[in-house]
Amino acid sequence: MIRFILADLRKYWLGSAVVVLIVALAVALGVAVTLQERALRLGSARAADKFDLVIGAAGSENQLVLSSVFLQASPLPLMDGRVLTQLASDPRVAWAAPIGFGDSFMGYPIVGTTTALVNNLADGLAEGKVFAREGEAVIGASVALKLGDQIKPMHGAAEEGGHTHAELAYRVAGRLKPTGTAWDRAVLVPIQAVWHIHGMGHHDEAEVERNHDAHGEAAEAHEHHAADPDATISETWDADVPGLPAILVKPKSIADAYKLRQQYRAGTTLAVFPAEVLTRLYATLGDAKRVLFAVATGSQGLVAASVLLVTVMHVGQRRRQIGALRALGAPRRALFSIVWLELFVLVAMGLAAGFALGYAAALAVSGMVASGSGVSIPVNFARDDIGFAVALLAFAALISSVPAVLAYRQSPASALRG
Amino acid sequence: MLSLTLSDISVSYPGLATPALEIDRLAIPAGAHVAITGASGSGKSTFVNIVTGLERARQGRIDWSGTDIAKFSESRRDRWRAEDVGLIMQDFHLFPGLSALENVLLPARLSGAASAEIIGRGHDLLKRTGLQRPQQRIETMSRGEMQRVAVARALLRKPGVIIADEPTASLDVESGEAVGSLLLELAGQEESTLIVVSHDTRLTDRLSRKVTFNMGRIVSDTGRMERAA
Repeated sequence: MIRFILADLRKYWLGSAVVVLIVALAVALGVAVTLQERALRLGSARAADKFDLVIGAAGSENQLVLSSVFLQASPLPLMDGRVLTQLASDPRVAWAAPIGFGDSFMGYPIVGTTTALVNNLADGLAEGKVFAREGEAVIGASVALKLGDQIKPMHGAAEEGGHTHAELAYRVAGRLKPTGTAWDRAVLVPIQAVWHIHGMGHHDEAEVERNHDAHGEAAEAHEHHAADPDATISETWDADVPGLPAILVKPKSIADAYKLRQQYRAGTTLAVFPAEVLTRLYATLGDAKRVLFAVATGSQGLVAASVLLVTVMHVGQRRRQIGALRALGAPRRALFSIVWLELFVLVAMGLAAGFALGYAAALAVSGMVASGSGVSIPVNFARDDIGFAVALLAFAALISSVPAVLAYRQSPASALRG
Repeated sequence: MLSLTLSDISVSYPGLATPALEIDRLAIPAGAHVAITGASGSGKSTFVNIVTGLERARQGRIDWSGTDIAKFSESRRDRWRAEDVGLIMQDFHLFPGLSALENVLLPARLSGAASAEIIGRGHDLLKRTGLQRPQQRIETMSRGEMQRVAVARALLRKPGVIIADEPTASLDVESGEAVGSLLLELAGQEESTLIVVSHDTRLTDRLSRKVTFNMGRIVSDTGRMERAA
């Protein structure tokens, strides 16, 4: 019987291949949507995991989270630098790290921060050491630079027509272990250096003037200021801290986290739990997922209907063959099995190919997202997918039985006549 | 060996004024070689369908050696046909992609009856029909060779009756002659009853009894005339 089915499939190989292909494409669509949505959710949740509480100036919560967690550059309003001073001495805070954005190097965002964040972001350094001087930088795991390389910061991003800062070139001092977050693509530098380059913080007027004169030609867009790459960094905050776009805070306990959020939500500042903001974003994504999934399901239904049409016509064409087998004494259940198995094998092959294709597509999308944002998006099959596969297989079994029943019920005498 | 006794058979189709087949009585003794002839539309095909159980007779008895298949269910008739009838058709109904031997064995395999003994018999029958290569693909064979394969398939399970429906109609004269000889020879060796439905007089003249149909009725029967004489 197997030989007979194989011979049959070989004879109709082109039609069979088309059936497998359209089933595969329809299934791949559904699988890719499911996998990618889950991957996106897991990946971004994992990326936000490190950041318990983010405090910024009053404004958009989403923008604060996107900028601080995913390093999506957007101009954030600045809050008073004294917030950092307060947080640094707050007994409920394990550590608080300011972050400053704006510069980039070869497409990698340069983030000004403190050693507190460098020490807590990843499971330590993969190589080198944490920055100790203004001219040193620590790079994320997927930044394509070596220890000792020079980093010349560019204000803004190259594609936005930014310009290079000539005042300070950083030297790569260390590399973090991978975190699977957007921060793997970041270049971390002392925030003091960022302030110095942009002329903020501890400067007396005379110094500012002198530096301005020296670099007059380059300072068209904004004032540039030389910084001493060998200056040691100080992380004790006085009242003179410049305005900050965001501060990442690690509270000591969950209760502290809620209290801190409560306290910094009032007035000119905004405090958010990134995880909570993301959950709200997922709810929106969830609707999109439902729409995509409905489209995928609809296409699967269409494919099922067209496969059914093709096979019913196919059984019609094979009436004589089926009638002859009956006449020669083949039992009806054998004919049912042949027709059912032929179609089921094709659809099952299509299902398997569809799952492989969907997985590959989801991986490709994840790869694109990871190289673009640094957020690693884990594509994994979950227990639910087995249920989905089983449901599809059961549906395939049901669909296959339609032409099989037609073959079963056909009268051999009239089939041979026709 | 099976004998056939038909009585009170009447088969009508909706839309047709006269019955397609009406036989008061027809007896074919076990081991007889009988030709059924008649113009097309004379009821020959209906006769084949009725006596092989492909079609159900609503009226009358179809008695094969004491078994009335008119009373059988559809599945029961299928089973009976698989075991007791060797059917040979005008269009061969062989299956491309399979070898000669696989074609011979296919119905037995689908019925779950392909024992080692049956497989051995398949080889033997192909040899006796004059085919040297049992593994040859069926689509590479000539029409004459194909009908030999069909004959071997019909005889595989030692049927009590061989029914050939226009076995030579799609063959050239020479191949038709050879297939006719093979049928008569093997039916004799296997001691099967042989019923050949054909309008090929070269073939029907070689059988000892000839029954002629017209408009669904028997209009002449050389066997009966001999008995009457």
